[in-house]
Amino acid sequence: MMLRPCPREREVKEQMQRGLWPDGSAEDLRRHVSGCRACGELVVVMQAFRSARASSVSSANPSSAGVLWWRAQLRRRNAAMEQIARPILGAQIFALAVTIAIAVILAVSQANHGLRWLAWLKQLGQTPALHFENLWSSALAMPQWGLMLLIFGLAGIAVLGGVVLFSDRQRQ
Amino acid sequence: MENVATGETQRAAELPMDNDAFAGFYERSARPLWAYLARVSGDAALADDLMQESYVRFLCAARTWDGEVSGRRYLFRIATNLLKDHWRRAKSTSIEEIPEELFAASPNAGQIESQAVLGPALAAMRPRDRQLLWLAYAEGYSHREIAEVTGLASASIRLLLFRARHKIARLLREPAAATAQGRTQ
Repeated sequence: MMLRPCPREREVKEQMQRGLWPDGSAEDLRRHVSGCRACGELVVVMQAFRSARASSVSSANPSSAGVLWWRAQLRRRNAAMEQIARPILGAQIFALAVTIAIAVILAVSQANHGLRWLAWLKQLGQTPALHFENLWSSALAMPQWGLMLLIFGLAGIAVLGGVVLFSDRQRQ
Repeated sequence: MENVATGETQRAAELPMDNDAFAGFYERSARPLWAYLARVSGDAALADDLMQESYVRFLCAARTWDGEVSGRRYLFRIATNLLKDHWRRAKSTSIEEIPEELFAASPNAGQIESQAVLGPALAAMRPRDRQLLWLAYAEGYSHREIAEVTGLASASIRLLLFRARHKIARLLREPAAATAQGRTQ
C-alpha cells in the first residue's frame, strides 16, 4: 500500500471540525472529495467517528467529581504515610540485624565457657537443691528472692506490652 | 518532630488543583474520556472503572497544572495506559499478538451502540488502531499529540493511522464485510 496523502486533506478536516461540511463548504472542495480516494476515506471515517463520539458523550453518565477527589486525596495521603514509615522500617531492620550480630558475638565469646556450664549442669542435676520442694522451701526461707522474681516478671511483661502496643500503632 | 512529619504528610497529600477547579475540569472532560474508553474497549462497565481510576491517578500524579488542553491530553494518556494494562492482564502476552476477536464488543456495548455502523467496523480493528482512529478522528488530535498520548513514535503514527483509516473506511463502506470480519478474525 502506497502512502499518498492528499494535499487538501487538511482543508477537508478543518471544514468537518468546524461543522461546515458539506453544506458550508466550497463547491470545488466537494467536487474534489467526490473524486479523491484519500479525502473520500477521510470524510467517511471522520463522519462516523464524530457521530459516534456525539452519541457516546450524550449517553455517558459520569459519577460525582467529589467522590473521585476524596479518593485521590486518600490515596495520596496513604502514599505519603508509607513514604514516612519507610525509614522506620529500615531502622527496625537495622536494629534486628545489630541484635542478631551481638547475639552471635556473645555466643562465640561464651563458647569456651559452654563446656564448663555443661559440666556444672550435670552436677546440678544430681544435687537435691534442684528439686521443687527444696526450691520452694529455700524461696520461703529467703523472701527477697520472691520479690526480685516478681519485679523482673512485671518488668518483662511491661516491656513486652510496650512492644506489642508499639507494633499495633505502627500497623494502624 | 511529630508536627514536622504531619506537616510533610499534609504537603505531600496536597493535590495539584483544588476541589472546584477539578469539578470544572471533570465536568468538561469526563464524557469525552468515557466515550473514548467505551468505544475503544467495547465495554461500558470497564469504561466506568477505567475512567474513575484515570481521574484518581491524574489527581495523584506529582504534576503541576499547566492548562486544560495539556491536562486533558495527560488524562487520555493515563486512560490509554490503563487500557493497555487491562488487555495485558487479560492475556499475559503482547497486545499486538492478541487476536481482535478477544476485544470484540461485548453485549454491554450493544446497549450504548446508538450507531450501528461504527460498532462492527471498530470491533474488527486491532485495539491500537481503534485508539489511534478515535484520538485522530473523534478527538481531533494531531499526530504529535497522539504520539504523546499513546507513547508511540511520532514518525510511525502517520503510517499506522493511514493504514487503519484505509481499513476502517473499507469496513464502513461494506458493513457486511465488517460483520463477517469481526466474526471470523
